Amino acid sequence: MKINFNMNGKPVEIDVDPSMRFLDVVRDVLHLNGTKEGCGEGSCGACVVLMDGKSVNSCLLPVANAIGHDFVTIEGLKETKEFDILQQAFAEMGGSQCGFCTPGMIIAAYSLLKHNPYPTEAQVREEMSGNLCRCTGYQAIVEAVLKAAKKGAGLW
Amino acid sequence: MVEKYIPASKKEALEVLSKHDCYIVAGGSDLMVMKKNTAGLAPKFDKDILYTSHIDELKGIYEDEAGVHVKAGTTLDEVLNSKLAPALLKKAVSQVASANIRHFATLVGNLANASPAGDTIVVDFLLDAKVKLESVGGERIVDVENFVLGVRKIDRHPDELITELIFPKLDYSGDMWWKVGSRKADSISKVMVAGYWGIRGKIVEKFALSFGSVSIKAVRSHDIEKEIIGLSVSELKARKNEFIEKYGKIVTPIDDQRSNAEYRHKVAMNIVSEFIDKVVGGK
Ligand SMILES: Cc1cc2nc3c(=O)[nH]c(=O)nc-3n(C[C@H](O)[C@H](O)[C@H](O)COP(=O)(O)OP(=O)(O)OC[C@H]3O[C@@H](n4cnc5c(N)ncnc54)[C@H](O)[C@@H]3O)c2cc1C
Ligand code: FES
Ligand code: FES
Repeated sequence: MKINFNMNGKPVEIDVDPSMRFLDVVRDVLHLNGTKEGCGEGSCGACVVLMDGKSVNSCLLPVANAIGHDFVTIEGLKETKEFDILQQAFAEMGGSQCGFCTPGMIIAAYSLLKHNPYPTEAQVREEMSGNLCRCTGYQAIVEAVLKAAKKGAGLW
Repeated sequence: MVEKYIPASKKEALEVLSKHDCYIVAGGSDLMVMKKNTAGLAPKFDKDILYTSHIDELKGIYEDEAGVHVKAGTTLDEVLNSKLAPALLKKAVSQVASANIRHFATLVGNLANASPAGDTIVVDFLLDAKVKLESVGGERIVDVENFVLGVRKIDRHPDELITELIFPKLDYSGDMWWKVGSRKADSISKVMVAGYWGIRGKIVEKFALSFGSVSIKAVRSHDIEKEIIGLSVSELKARKNEFIEKYGKIVTPIDDQRSNAEYRHKVAMNIVSEFIDKVVGGK
């Protein structure tokens, strides 16, 4: 079936089974490999992408539900100022070690800051509870997001 | 061959359901896990699939004389950001899964999934929610307590689509929501309790409690509530242990790997005790 949506600002048309996971389209069809598969069950957040500006687990999203929507993956986010701020904050705070969770973390942080530009620490923890990291122990990530919020004030 | 239907209108969806027995996929957060396949392969659906997310008529929340209507395609995130949604419902929704999932999973999906650990079902029971189902033959409205039949069992005929969840207007002076889980958020519940009360003069005018994750479905006892309503605050205080014991009989947790039955029962009873303290303390 022909499926249309926007990916990273460009219209895409692909011919796939609409019951497929959007994650597999992102990685195997569009070759956007910054989006990772961790658990494949919605609980780790490695696969999150922005759908109309909000973070969603692409491992749970059927392609059928993607039709007509606007998506941004980490590759698309890289073109933005917001990404530079987030990336710098993650680097400074040590919010990324092995890096596996980092694309998902950045996407989730972006989604959070777009809707809540001045989050409290508790809000960052709660809002990002769906993104797991085996390396950093979270404190550094939370601090990085708070730092990015401050540095990017007015931008979010 | 499994057919996939992606209707853009409710009418089209009802026509599909009148002819085909389908899985109905809303956000997909339950079904995509249940039907998971090897990475790279489409999920294993053994029946036709109807996707509802492109039906605009199923989106949004509105209010009329009957109460607040949450349409079936409304996401948990939209409920959380709604001015109309009942406050207690929002408290429960804020604890479901993670923000990522709440951005696309629906409130009605949480109900229709009929998990004994479904967080929002406890509040649906407490607030006397009504489920609206539509088919080509017409519509019917069912009380949520009768709609949920058991573990993953609901009173829906194959040709019916849930179109709304309706919350009648209720006035009360205090409410509480507890979710005791292994982690604060993003945990499938061990025990949930929701309750509200109202006091006028020194009389308990309103009292309602419902429980989740302590039985095959959410539970609420209208009998115990009837006994309590009309008592004076001091009578309720004096008879607290009696009512805890009564609640102890309807709360019948099953053992599973998450938490043993005895522990859940104890937690639930401690919460009942705390709830009654709140009611009589007027806090
Ligand atoms: C990692 C993870 C954590 C989770 N944590 C929690 C938690 O803490 N608490 C909790 O309660 N839940 C939790 N869930 C469960 C889940 O997110 C919810 O049940 C969700 O609300 C389901 O909504 P959906 O739109 O994604 O449902 P779907 O998967 O699309 O559907 C769920 C069920 O509802 C039926 N359905 C949907 N819409 C209709 C309709 N209009 N008419 C008839 N039937 C319909 C479907 O057929 C299916 O049986 C979690 C899930 C995951 C993956
Ligand atoms: S891979 Fe999607 S949440 Fe883990
Ligand atoms: S940096 Fe390794 S999982 Fe987060």
